[in-house]
Amino acid sequence: MNDDLILQHGLTLDEFKIIKNYLNRDLTMEELGIFSAMWNEHCCYKTSKKWLKKLPTENEIVIQGPGENAGIIDIQDNDGIAFKIESHNHPSYIEPFNGSATGVGGILRDIFTMGARPIATLDSIRFGLIESEKTKYLLNGVVHGIGHYGNCIGIPNIGGECEFESTYGFNNLVNAMAVGHVQKDKIFYSKPKSIGGLIVYIGSKTGKDGIHGASMASDVFSEDDEDDKRPSVQVGDPFMEKLLMEGCLELMSLGLIESMQDMGAAGITSSSVEMASKGNVGVLINLDKVPLRQPLSAYEILLSESQERMLAVIDEKNNLKVREILQKWQIDYEVIGEITNNKRVVFESNNKKVVDLPVDIIVDDAPEYDREFYMPRKRKGKDFDFSNIKLEDIINTLLSNLNYLNKSWVFNQYDSTVMGDTVKEPGQSSGIVKIHGTQKVIGATTDCNPLYIRINPYEGMKYTVAESYRNLIACNINPLAITNNLNFASPLDPNIMGELVLSIDGLKTAAVKFNTPIVSGNVSLYNQTNEIPIKPTPVIGMVGSNQDLKKINSNKFCNIGNKILVLGKQLEKNLSPYLLQDQNLASNINEYNDLEELDLDYEKKVADCVLEMSDFKYIMSCNDISRGGVFLSLLKMQYKDMGFKVNIPDPIDLFCEYSAGYVIEIRNEDLNNVTSFLSKNGVGYFEIGEIIRENIEINSKKFDYFDIINNYHNNFEKIIN
Amino acid sequence: MSFKSAVITFPGSNCDRDALCYLQDLTKGVVYNIWHEEASLPQVDLVILPGGFSFGDYLRSGAMASKSKIINDVIKHANDNRYLLGICNGFQILTEIGLLEGALIQNKNLKFLGKNCFIKKKFKNNFNLSIKEDQVLQIPVAHNEGNFYCDNETLKSLKNNEQIAFEYCKGEFSNSEENINGSIEAIAGITNKKKNILGMMPHPERAYSDFHPSQDGKLIIESLIT
Repeated sequence: MNDDLILQHGLTLDEFKIIKNYLNRDLTMEELGIFSAMWNEHCCYKTSKKWLKKLPTENEIVIQGPGENAGIIDIQDNDGIAFKIESHNHPSYIEPFNGSATGVGGILRDIFTMGARPIATLDSIRFGLIESEKTKYLLNGVVHGIGHYGNCIGIPNIGGECEFESTYGFNNLVNAMAVGHVQKDKIFYSKPKSIGGLIVYIGSKTGKDGIHGASMASDVFSEDDEDDKRPSVQVGDPFMEKLLMEGCLELMSLGLIESMQDMGAAGITSSSVEMASKGNVGVLINLDKVPLRQPLSAYEILLSESQERMLAVIDEKNNLKVREILQKWQIDYEVIGEITNNKRVVFESNNKKVVDLPVDIIVDDAPEYDREFYMPRKRKGKDFDFSNIKLEDIINTLLSNLNYLNKSWVFNQYDSTVMGDTVKEPGQSSGIVKIHGTQKVIGATTDCNPLYIRINPYEGMKYTVAESYRNLIACNINPLAITNNLNFASPLDPNIMGELVLSIDGLKTAAVKFNTPIVSGNVSLYNQTNEIPIKPTPVIGMVGSNQDLKKINSNKFCNIGNKILVLGKQLEKNLSPYLLQDQNLASNINEYNDLEELDLDYEKKVADCVLEMSDFKYIMSCNDISRGGVFLSLLKMQYKDMGFKVNIPDPIDLFCEYSAGYVIEIRNEDLNNVTSFLSKNGVGYFEIGEIIRENIEINSKKFDYFDIINNYHNNFEKIIN
Repeated sequence: MSFKSAVITFPGSNCDRDALCYLQDLTKGVVYNIWHEEASLPQVDLVILPGGFSFGDYLRSGAMASKSKIINDVIKHANDNRYLLGICNGFQILTEIGLLEGALIQNKNLKFLGKNCFIKKKFKNNFNLSIKEDQVLQIPVAHNEGNFYCDNETLKSLKNNEQIAFEYCKGEFSNSEENINGSIEAIAGITNKKKNILGMMPHPERAYSDFHPSQDGKLIIESLIT
């Protein structure tokens, strides 16, 4: 085999040498394809594995941690929640509609593969600056794709985030998260149970789409690649996925399946190898039996990433019943192989073994790298000049910056109320859905503060986790567990590798403190095009619950005349990175002061107080404070004809960022009880103002209420058109 | 005598469970779930064709569903003067069958629209008896093809025969629109001439529980039962 061929398959020559030495023979093309698929970053985490091992992944409520299709936590009774986030960054840049649609499709399959019915999706999407026509094209395509897939299959989209920043201009990020409900005694795993079990193929026919998709996802891009790589993008069919979901869930509810694995990245190769590895068994598959959409070679069948396909193991006695049920759903079904006891992965085609490899070498001997990394430089303190910054100007810059505006243009393209269990729709502190037939609710949110993480990866990551935590707390949702999507540029750059290592460390510290283990996740590296690396973007998806729907806090103002309090600790102006960035005070990343250390104990203490006050019904409405400070929280809380008046010694403080920050609305008669409760618990608070009718007043100065409200709600759409 | 109803499920229906819960909770009577390949319907007072993407809607929305096996019996049910309600994709199916006039084309901004909308009743029929004149209902929509279209002659006859059941209107939010999807005369729902068949784009089955932002969707079932 020549070197070029090996390199084209994304393997290094050293990696190839390991394989050859082990096998002591030449590889077939099909075998080379398998190593290409299984030894890339996307499938074997060769760069991140060493560091991911440090994350806390267990506690008393974790039923399934990382390593399965999705993580599962226990929310009491017989209810479990399965959830995971996954990236589809590269495909969404090449072909935004199909790339993002199949991202949603893939993450939904991860959920129902485990026997869970998906009940919500979220999406975390990032683009370059909107001045570029390319960004508009990508934004439209991605939002359309996410909506098209989720709307058609009928899973509500309940939240997420959408950010615009220059480094994502040639490498947008599309991370999709899904949450499912499973009965604890009906969870399905990918591990096969018995030797001799039939390996069956369920779902769409296999075609040429997506061949080498996983290795593409592990590659650096140059701009000209776009057209060449388009055939590597999968094409989604949400109607087929709906049939597949209903068919699979029906088979599982009847106990007709032993184990199941989604054919996602690296298709039939990855799913069969993982099955063999998890069960410590072998697989024998006849590729001639695979349902095909068009004539394909064995090599192509092995690497196709056609969507909406599942691999399952069943007992032979159930074969007819399974076929009958899948016929009702009009889904292709074929027996293509069996589970063997020889711990080898064997694929046959035309009566010939085209692949015959020990499972161990593919999985256990997959490379693991300890890449060089640099610690970030220490930062010098700097005082920024705020003397020319006027209150009106800050408000105007906020209301003309997409990152602050109401994003209903995005989420109105998603069906957020299908399934009839949505309690809180997108655009609020966190999305909330009810567990069908119970009074329990699940809250979910996604977050990342890339600017913080670039300034200080360790502290920045703590802030990111804390922001997710606050999003849930503000709704009176008890945070339970995390899924993460680590989006970084090339780890071959020791500076980037340093960001990866330190942010994982920050994630670990915060997750331990909050007792929110990481139960699933995804790593997406090499997010850079034309030498422009993206900002470090380790996205957090956090899930929590409340046993009683009626205890959920509103995130919107309730009554005119009620008092507004601010809780937590304000960051100084000089230490509020987004304020400095968005007021054009800091022009390059080296100018920022280091982040203030985030006190996680204090963060937890304030959160506990908010939960307790919510249960007491002291809190009428609540919102966390993040980018945009108290002012933006107040705008988010604005509702119907209500406005606010506030008094604050330095009005610029209204735009500073916070740790442990919340804005709460309370009744006048509860003011004494609330303030003495907060003082007793050592929680800082500031009585900032009250809710008034159709007015916005800051230090007695009146602002144009309707102008601000309309701009906040409508400017997003105006700017992107 | 208790109220009996049924919900038809097509392979791509995704609001069938919501419609079943809606009927179970509000009618307190028997509710059947009927698979599209079944040949006959039980005797019921009301049949709902639910929302979703019945067969993926790769052809026109609802076009394939209108040829399903169960549809013969659905037509028979309607010809017997019993109630038939098509919600969203169900409305699209009813126009494809020809039980309702007009067609649902793509929204005017060519985008899917998923949000709360506001409607009020136009002409009185058995589906909106419990709704007051000028009462504004808040009910979610979720559709890509909800823009009601018909020719002038049909529009005239819809008016003359008082077949327009609901129209979109402005709500209590300052930024709510009068006509969210570009429908002719802001039509949100129509009936047949006999007024036992209603098709509507908004989803009343997503606006009835205590935890929903609005419970206005109850009024339709209440109108039929009382």
